[in-house]
Amino acid sequence: MTDQRDGRTDRSGGWTRRRLLGTGAALGGSAALGGFPVVRRARAAAKTMSFWQFYAPGGPVPGQTKWFEDTIKAWNDTHDVKVDLNYIPSGDYMNGAKLPTAFASGQGPDLFLISPGDFLRYYNGGVLQDLTPYIDAKVQADFTPNIIASRKVDGKIYGVPMEVEPMAFYFRKDAFDKVGLNETDVPKTWEQLLEIAKKLTTPDRFGVLFETTPGYYQNFTWYPFLWQGGGEFQTADHKSALNAPAFVQALKFWQDAVASGAAPRKPLGGGAWDIAPNLGSGYCAMQNCGIWGISAMAANAKDVPYGVFKLPTPTDGKYVTVGGGWAIVANARGGNPEAAGQFCAWALASASPDSLKRMVDWCTVAKSDMPPRQSAFAMGKAAFDSGFMKTFTTEIYPGTRAEPRLPPQVYKAISDAIQACQLNGADPAQQAALASQQVDAFLAGYSGAEIL
Amino acid sequence: MDLAVGQTARDVLRGRPRGRLTRRQREALAGYLFVLPDALGLAVFAGLPMLLALALGFFTVDGFGGYRFAGLANYRRMLLDPLFLQSLRVTLAYVVMLVPSLYVVGLGLALLVQRRSRLSGVLRSLFFLPQMVSLVVVALVWQVLLVDKIGIVNRLLSPLGLGGLSWLGDPRLALVAVVAISVWFLMGFYMLIFLGGLQDIPKEYHEAARLDGARPAAAFLYITLPLLRPTSFFVVLTATVTAVAGGQIFDLIYVMTKGGPANATELAIYYIYQQAFQYNEFGYAGAMATVLVVLLLGLTLLLFAVTRGGRFDG
Repeated sequence: MTDQRDGRTDRSGGWTRRRLLGTGAALGGSAALGGFPVVRRARAAAKTMSFWQFYAPGGPVPGQTKWFEDTIKAWNDTHDVKVDLNYIPSGDYMNGAKLPTAFASGQGPDLFLISPGDFLRYYNGGVLQDLTPYIDAKVQADFTPNIIASRKVDGKIYGVPMEVEPMAFYFRKDAFDKVGLNETDVPKTWEQLLEIAKKLTTPDRFGVLFETTPGYYQNFTWYPFLWQGGGEFQTADHKSALNAPAFVQALKFWQDAVASGAAPRKPLGGGAWDIAPNLGSGYCAMQNCGIWGISAMAANAKDVPYGVFKLPTPTDGKYVTVGGGWAIVANARGGNPEAAGQFCAWALASASPDSLKRMVDWCTVAKSDMPPRQSAFAMGKAAFDSGFMKTFTTEIYPGTRAEPRLPPQVYKAISDAIQACQLNGADPAQQAALASQQVDAFLAGYSGAEIL
Repeated sequence: MDLAVGQTARDVLRGRPRGRLTRRQREALAGYLFVLPDALGLAVFAGLPMLLALALGFFTVDGFGGYRFAGLANYRRMLLDPLFLQSLRVTLAYVVMLVPSLYVVGLGLALLVQRRSRLSGVLRSLFFLPQMVSLVVVALVWQVLLVDKIGIVNRLLSPLGLGGLSWLGDPRLALVAVVAISVWFLMGFYMLIFLGGLQDIPKEYHEAARLDGARPAAAFLYITLPLLRPTSFFVVLTATVTAVAGGQIFDLIYVMTKGGPANATELAIYYIYQQAFQYNEFGYAGAMATVLVVLLLGLTLLLFAVTRGGRFDG
């Protein structure tokens, strides 16, 4: 081929530089346009709903991945509007920018998971679909009242809880044996816990482990110790209730654990929620961890002899633990909020036995959790009454208070107080006063849904 | 001689038709075309977001499409926000520790491996190796090495009585540990920059100094260092920008400490990220990002002024 302009022969097999650049630009442009979210969304119409979560496809725990895939298949086989699973690694999902960025740009998923800690952010942002019309009144009553409460505003349900994950303590039986303790010696009070933790501490092992990384999870694990002393977040007239003895003593409890050398300043693995790298490896002898620890130990440290006991209380305190857990929610501004709402109800909040079975399977086969629906206990009785699950069902779960829903500003004030006392030797009373001041300043201008 | 529009006398003399570009013009055009993709990328992915962040700073943004004009409220809030002010202090401490450390280590390594030998080739590769690893992996590996009580670093230090230190859990040590890891990660890059600078110094100067009986230390102080000024300027400038903008350090903080313990490693860039993506305070984050850019710009201009644009001459 000859380029007519300068008479030179083109040896590129018919591709001049200009043509190559032009074709490249055209290809790049079309690829970019195809990848442009708005265009993609318009093409997909509202016949497919995206479901963002951190389990499937290709999630790290096969049983949980399978549950999600089976559930979606069952829905897609029987409904015209299909659901498409979008996996996001848990770290990115919980602390990353993907979900907030998607919503900020109006491209939020149709279905997604949120914890109570994030509820107010999304509810106050106006993106949570009211699910009440899709849930049968009998099923609404079947949800444990204080668990569903953190997903309700003005009597309407905005999220279907999948699980309840109460916090407890796990301990290594071999470590107890070595210092002459046995299962009957598990601590009942904070003082006993610290005393035993010191006994269990060796040059290679810490006696007890609490979370030390700042974040929602650390706050979540600390709240029961606040409640056990009668502490609350706010008063009846919506003022801060943080500047109180219960807040101070809970801060001091964690501070003493680290200051005594019995608790580490940094956990192993992903954090103090991660039981196998900590208790399983022998890094600590007792660990403050949730019910998910049972399945995690079975999967990753099955030869380690361990036991479970409920959270100790302060002297004259009342036993309370906290129960977290994820809820499925629908995007009110998504492509098909109606179908998304129906999906939430169909999955785990319908009167159909299949729906209840899905909840039982999620809490007993895929995970080791307590179910948020009371009738699920009867359906899954065999599983809930066996092994360590029985300890949770009969001893730990009955004192469960739902994970609170706090705005980020309140959570951050509490987080800073915990961190300052636990790791920086600050005065708990001073920190309580400071946190209270910050929360009061925030509450004075707060106008969203009720803080619980 | 009649000249057409765009045609020069030289064009006519050379017989070049009207409208054809001169060689110099063609080269300039080619140069601009080569730069264009980068310039476009910078404009779209850096310039535009900076302008948007500047604009966002004047709004209250809820992260769900709600915008309300807030005037200077975000800027006023910043002045009263003790955590933002603390994050600036942490950033300053990080810069003050990181930049000189990177300078000394980068230059030291470059001096160590500047002579061509089989060993120096191996050492250069080894020192550069951390740069080849994902920063997230670097953070995870160091997290394991620095574990309380049973970590390798504490095991090695225990004969000195320092085995009980909590490198990432003690607010007095955490930032030092993060700086040390940053230096370890970045040293290979700066070593290469200094190597380039050292190789640009004519050997004759050192030979003359040797003949005059100058000791190695004197030759380093009076020949190497002065002639490394442009390289030093580049190193100080890029290290400072890296430290303040947190392009790489962010990953370390995100994986290893989440800004803790007790906000000891909460650099301004991490605090801005938290405000935007964890608390949905996009407007406030935009205002803080603008202030950070202005501070960085001021620092850069100061560096240029003090060093006369890197030439260091009066």
